[in-house]
Amino acid sequence: MTPPIRVDRLSKRFRRGVRHDSLRDLLPALFRGRRDGEHEEAEGDFWAVRDVSFEVERGAALGIIGPNGAGKSTMLKLLNRILRPTSGTIAIEGRSAALIEVSAGFHPDLTGRENVFLQGAMFGLRRREVATRFDAIVDFSGIEPFIDTPVKRYSSGMNARLGFSIAAHLEPDVLLVDEVLSVGDMNFQQRCVQRMHAFKRDGTAIVFISHDLGAVGALCDRALFLRSTVQAYGAVNDVITSYSVASVGGSISTGSEIVIERAMLERVDGGDPTSVSPGEPMRLVVDYRVEQGRGGLVLGLVLHRSMDGMVLYDGAFSTQEVGVDFTRAGMHRVVFDLAPHVTRGVYHFATHVWDPATHSIVSRLDPAASLAVHETRTYSGIADLAVRAAATH
Amino acid sequence: MTTSSPPIAVAAVRPAPARPRGALAEIAAHRDLLFLLAARDVRIRYKETVMGFAWALLLPLLVLASGVVIQFALTRVSGAPLDATRIAGVLVKSVPWSFFATAVGFATASVLTSASLVAKVWFPREVLPLASVAAQSVDLAVAAVAMTAGLAALGVGGHAASFWAVPLVGLLLALTAGLGLLFACANVFFRDVKYLVQVFLTYGIFFTPVFFDASVLGPRVTPWFMLNPVAPILEGLRLAIVGGHDLLVPLRLADGTLAWTPAYLAWSVVAAVGSIVAGLVAFHRSQDLFAELL
Repeated sequence: MTPPIRVDRLSKRFRRGVRHDSLRDLLPALFRGRRDGEHEEAEGDFWAVRDVSFEVERGAALGIIGPNGAGKSTMLKLLNRILRPTSGTIAIEGRSAALIEVSAGFHPDLTGRENVFLQGAMFGLRRREVATRFDAIVDFSGIEPFIDTPVKRYSSGMNARLGFSIAAHLEPDVLLVDEVLSVGDMNFQQRCVQRMHAFKRDGTAIVFISHDLGAVGALCDRALFLRSTVQAYGAVNDVITSYSVASVGGSISTGSEIVIERAMLERVDGGDPTSVSPGEPMRLVVDYRVEQGRGGLVLGLVLHRSMDGMVLYDGAFSTQEVGVDFTRAGMHRVVFDLAPHVTRGVYHFATHVWDPATHSIVSRLDPAASLAVHETRTYSGIADLAVRAAATH
Repeated sequence: MTTSSPPIAVAAVRPAPARPRGALAEIAAHRDLLFLLAARDVRIRYKETVMGFAWALLLPLLVLASGVVIQFALTRVSGAPLDATRIAGVLVKSVPWSFFATAVGFATASVLTSASLVAKVWFPREVLPLASVAAQSVDLAVAAVAMTAGLAALGVGGHAASFWAVPLVGLLLALTAGLGLLFACANVFFRDVKYLVQVFLTYGIFFTPVFFDASVLGPRVTPWFMLNPVAPILEGLRLAIVGGHDLLVPLRLADGTLAWTPAYLAWSVVAAVGSIVAGLVAFHRSQDLFAELL
């Protein structure tokens, strides 16, 4: 079965130059000649999105992340047919619902009730279809007492709740979501996330654009790091890691005397090492190639939270205590046994070789490996305290 | 990523259609949106204004009054009496002309007035000018009821040929919608189209037989005048409703003026169908450029 969202070599160029938007301006411009106009175009053009390709399968979610001005919103508008691509193709199959700005389609003078019908009609629903879903929409939004109030009197949170509720009840085949979960209270955000998971289970293909890397990590299977062009595209935790490494200035660098050849993260039980529960027994296997032997070195192991680069752990292990001899040239392997007692999110390891005598890094691998931790117990926080709650008699 | 749930049925396949047939399917799927937008316009106009339903009658009454003055002047020159038939003739034409002028004006501005919507939400943009025309046709219906009462008061009408009004109003709606689509689209690209259209609509009344009958222009000018696609619709309405004339039969006046021929009607059909096809195609081809230009 072909994926319901297929994007092939998509590009969008915007013209920053002078545009003739009245006939009065156009006529003199036509007489000035074409050469002038071409020059103008070339100067002012910029590519918001360039040569982007991806696919989203049924029941899968793709996160699009990137800094401000990276073309994320342009991408969503292209997917939603609001903008015309300069080149490339987009194929979308099925009923598509977009949440670009949840209350965008609302008319301020109409009541919530009237806007539910108007918004539903914009998504191509018949009045009857909206009517059968109406109670569920209002119920989910939790704004029932205000449903007959004009929406201009709604708070932004109420707007977002009603907007999301409408889209949530369309049973779309394709769902395009921008930063909408940032509005609304904790409880509502939680329900939105649950609803999006339910969409995935029902086979909806989701494109989720967000600055909240935590939310992307929790919902999406794959991610695309966009900065006009595709910087990284693949498994969500790898992409989040490369995005955060790129934005906090990290780099994959390694010295010349001692080279960190590779690092492999494994699960002790042999399962998928990139997707684990808190406290999962794991090992990070690091291979070093020593070109020029040195003694008295320290092996560093660092764990970052990928969404903001926060250091959760920074441990040092001397070559002596590890029992590895870096004075001898050649290949050396060190196994770090560990258990990441952290809450849900995307994390990445970095590892380095440190010379305490000169206070310098001899070699570094950042990121070394990434992992996504899944759990549903906590609302926020970093440390997993392995809490067991039980009643006593 | 695999999912254990069975793949759900595709509710509506929506690849970008490049043909007008695709456009029609999309508009049809969004017909409730068209209705809701039109209803919103109507509600705002009738509920939140001092005039209310009187709005629907204001312009036709002004056109009628102007027409009566001009007819009075004409009878002063010709010496013929200003009878009920002449007044009824202007009345029958003032209502559709007012609809045409107002609806084309609103439709032209429709995409720009909904700019915030167009920039953020996808729906077939054709519904915007079409909803303007639909909202205006409510005024047309209100005015038509008043017109019927006026005709009864004048003791004119009641002919079987009045049924010609049904296809003629259909033609008028198609022509209005077609021009509305074309101008709305052009107005996004060139903002002064709106003013240009307004000027044409204001002075267009002198190039359309509203205040007078086309046949007063004589045998040579009348056929040229009937090239205005609105002219055969208005003249047809007058001849059928006031004169009880069967529009399949040509009507030649004593001075040789061809006051009516089915060819006029045929031309009007060609213009109406042509404008709606051109409007849909032009609009559909360019609508995904709108968001960038707003």
